[in-house]
Amino acid sequence: MLILIIAVVSLILQFFLPWWIIAPISFGISFWMARSGKQAFGSAFLAIFLLWIGMGLIHTLPNENILANRVGSMLSLPDTSFNWIIVLLLTGIIGGLASGFSGLSGFYFKEAIKKS
Amino acid sequence: MKIVKAAISGLFAFALIYVLNNKFGDIPPLARFLDPFNGFWANAESKVQDPEKNLTIEGLNGQVEIHFDDQMIPHIFADNDHDLYFAQGYITAKDRLWQMDFQTRFAAGRLSEVVGPKAIELDRYQRRMGMSFGAENMVEVMMKDPEIKAIMNAYSAGVNAYIHSLKSADYPIEFKLLNYEPEDWQPLYSALLLKLMSATLAGGSNEFYMNNILQKYGPEITKNLFPDYPFREDPIIPVGTKWDFDPVNIPQMPAISENKTASNIQTKEKEEGIGSNNWALSGKKTASGYPLLSNDPHLDLTLPAIWYQIQLVSNDMNACGVSIPGSPGIIIGFNKDVAWGVTNVGADVLDWYNIKFKDASKKEYWYDNKWNPVKERIENIKISNGEILTDTVLYTHHGPVVYTSEQRPDNFPKINNIPTGHALKWVAHIGSNDVRTFISLNKAKNYADYRKALTYFSAPAQNFVFASIENDIAITPNGYFPLKWKGQGKFLLDGTDPANDWKGRIPAEHNPTVKNPERNFVSSANQFPSDQSYPYYLNWEYSGYERSHRINKRLSVMTQANVDSLQNLQNDNYSILAENILSTLVSLVDSEKLNASEREGFNIVSQWNKFFDADEIGASIFELWHKNLGLQIWQDEFGDPKTPMRYPSRDRNVELLLNEPDAVWWDNVKTAKKETRADLVNASFKFAIDSLQRKFGPLDSDWAWANLKKTHVPHLAKVAGFGSKFLYNGGSKTSVNATSESNGPSWRMIVALGKDVKAYGVFPGGESGNPGSHYYDDMIDTWSDGKLNELVYLKTKDEKSKRIITSWKLSKK
Repeated sequence: MLILIIAVVSLILQFFLPWWIIAPISFGISFWMARSGKQAFGSAFLAIFLLWIGMGLIHTLPNENILANRVGSMLSLPDTSFNWIIVLLLTGIIGGLASGFSGLSGFYFKEAIKKS
Repeated sequence: MKIVKAAISGLFAFALIYVLNNKFGDIPPLARFLDPFNGFWANAESKVQDPEKNLTIEGLNGQVEIHFDDQMIPHIFADNDHDLYFAQGYITAKDRLWQMDFQTRFAAGRLSEVVGPKAIELDRYQRRMGMSFGAENMVEVMMKDPEIKAIMNAYSAGVNAYIHSLKSADYPIEFKLLNYEPEDWQPLYSALLLKLMSATLAGGSNEFYMNNILQKYGPEITKNLFPDYPFREDPIIPVGTKWDFDPVNIPQMPAISENKTASNIQTKEKEEGIGSNNWALSGKKTASGYPLLSNDPHLDLTLPAIWYQIQLVSNDMNACGVSIPGSPGIIIGFNKDVAWGVTNVGADVLDWYNIKFKDASKKEYWYDNKWNPVKERIENIKISNGEILTDTVLYTHHGPVVYTSEQRPDNFPKINNIPTGHALKWVAHIGSNDVRTFISLNKAKNYADYRKALTYFSAPAQNFVFASIENDIAITPNGYFPLKWKGQGKFLLDGTDPANDWKGRIPAEHNPTVKNPERNFVSSANQFPSDQSYPYYLNWEYSGYERSHRINKRLSVMTQANVDSLQNLQNDNYSILAENILSTLVSLVDSEKLNASEREGFNIVSQWNKFFDADEIGASIFELWHKNLGLQIWQDEFGDPKTPMRYPSRDRNVELLLNEPDAVWWDNVKTAKKETRADLVNASFKFAIDSLQRKFGPLDSDWAWANLKKTHVPHLAKVAGFGSKFLYNGGSKTSVNATSESNGPSWRMIVALGKDVKAYGVFPGGESGNPGSHYYDDMIDTWSDGKLNELVYLKTKDEKSKRIITSWKLSKK
């Protein structure tokens, strides 16, 4: 559930706002709903990992992956026609980490407030 | 405890977001770059185009229709000139915005603003050479011509209308990589791009090296090794053509004109760069009875491609060809009545004057027997970290003093040929209205229009080839040629004596030209504009004669020519250089003293057909052989790092090899032994085989010429992955198809005039500047294979063509 909400809210807001909007979204929704640190990090990570990979696919498949393969070469990957998959995974992981750690701190902030 | 946890995780998350959102050194802001909503993924264009598109744009006066063909080349139909050039700006920006921005910044010395401190010396250099100074002077002249002013402004408005329509997700990928935003276009930027052409094609100079040679070896040897007319030549204006004008007063060489300035800066051998060709055949030599015209301008190749193909149609014109992204009109192309093309002239339009300052303050300089004030131009170089570096350039009436001794940076190889304390006199600094030449050619109907158009052109001087449906052909080495005494500017000049100044220009109508010569064709390949009968002095050295000689030889025997015969000549890999020297080289090799692999290589190169085709092993051996021979002849005498000099030309090497077996230059003065011509020929042959062996292993097909040459097209900012792959093709600097590592034909075009004009063309790249587009490099294999695409030339906007894949309507808002 947490995954779905973060993904949907991010999907909508990312059309208008810069990429870092995923951080306050993951933070806020984890603050509100997460039940454990593990769940907060995991859900927030997966939500953006999947969202970014999904969005990436929407762009790259009609492009026959030529740009992602070029970016792969730019990042010094060996020249193959599968570079785009690595670039796509990297995209998902970077977005996922930014979101995951935001979600985690959202949960910890809630815990901190609860105690006091 | 939980507060600490919250604080630490909060801080960590915040730091992570910060790191991923900012650029560090050359690493782009990672998450911003990878974000699939606004980052690079958004630049991945679908292969499929929408069949039509309607846009409303502020700034148009009426409606514009644009048909895109199967290479996404725009064919623009407008009702008036304003809308036409507005749309050209808009559409060019759509495809090439980053390239336009980056090249402009490069020209103006504004790269540090976007790439940081590593570009500071380059920026200083561009500014100190007066690139912006020249561009400003150009804009001043252009803006006095109401028609050109309107065109420049309409083009800029079109570019800006496109820029303003963009969201950050739409910015070209390079903006995202380098993390900056496009800025508004202005006519000055178009002028800067034309200055960049001057810097590339007419910005080189040898006089510093020549001066050092003159001092070391004296006038006699210098004249012998660096003659004012080559051993072999086949000039552009056919020998024997009569000049139909009375020359104006030609200045006399003053008594003491040489300038003794010693220096000690290291330098490298000068590379021969440009290899452009053009020619036109009269209808008497063609199958159709109408003229054929061919042009392939050679440049350092880059992606996005140097040229932008376009068709421009309004009420009084319908022209097609290639444009420079960032400048209005068509530079090389055709309309239904005429076709035209250009190659570089290479006249000496850049001279250095030694400046005598009154004192260390450098406020005054000595000229015409009095002290004259120095003007200061302050250059503010912005750097991406927010700092501003202030640089002062001293201007004399000659031009800017590019480096005084205290302003000269160490270890900046680009400035090796620049003499310290000298002012630069350069045609690119003189205001001119070159854009009018192209706008007029676009609308030209006949020979008279061509001649008129040429009078507006200043720099970089070009050999303008021309053909018309009225069966006129012509060629004119054309531009602003300073009026000089013979040899003026071959060496550094004394800046205190007015006798050394340029005395205005050669009248434009006295520029060398020929119309409908008896041989029924005209051609150029960067060689001497004319033989020594031309009364004015243009330069003492041009590109080698080999390409032009091959072209003229083949054209003179051509009859019933068609597009295929011309295409075949454009791709001709035969080397006249090899024809001239290979048999002599081979005859001097002592085959007794060769080892097994040397003998095998010797057999191959002896039987080589002298074509620099992709598979030829003989070509690889020959190229390394003659190059190393040149090095062995001259390195001992002209390679002294303390006094930078250049080597004599290839033409002089050939003369030495064939006619002067006993010249003193064969001996290596650094050894006790006295080397002979044969010694050097044998040593350089062994060198060639040895280096190929080390590079490719034992002799086999890996030694093929294409593998040694390794042609490829790099990205403009050298971003890895955004350039082309290595291309397997033929060609050499001494062949008509002058293709080398990353220099070659930047555009190949053939126009067949007639009742229904047909044209063919290709450039090494694609119409789009976006590495994420299928049209970024879709022509590169066609180019590499030496093939051409038939160009779509629509006569009316309603003409149906199967090759049109999408149409846009631009309406006023």
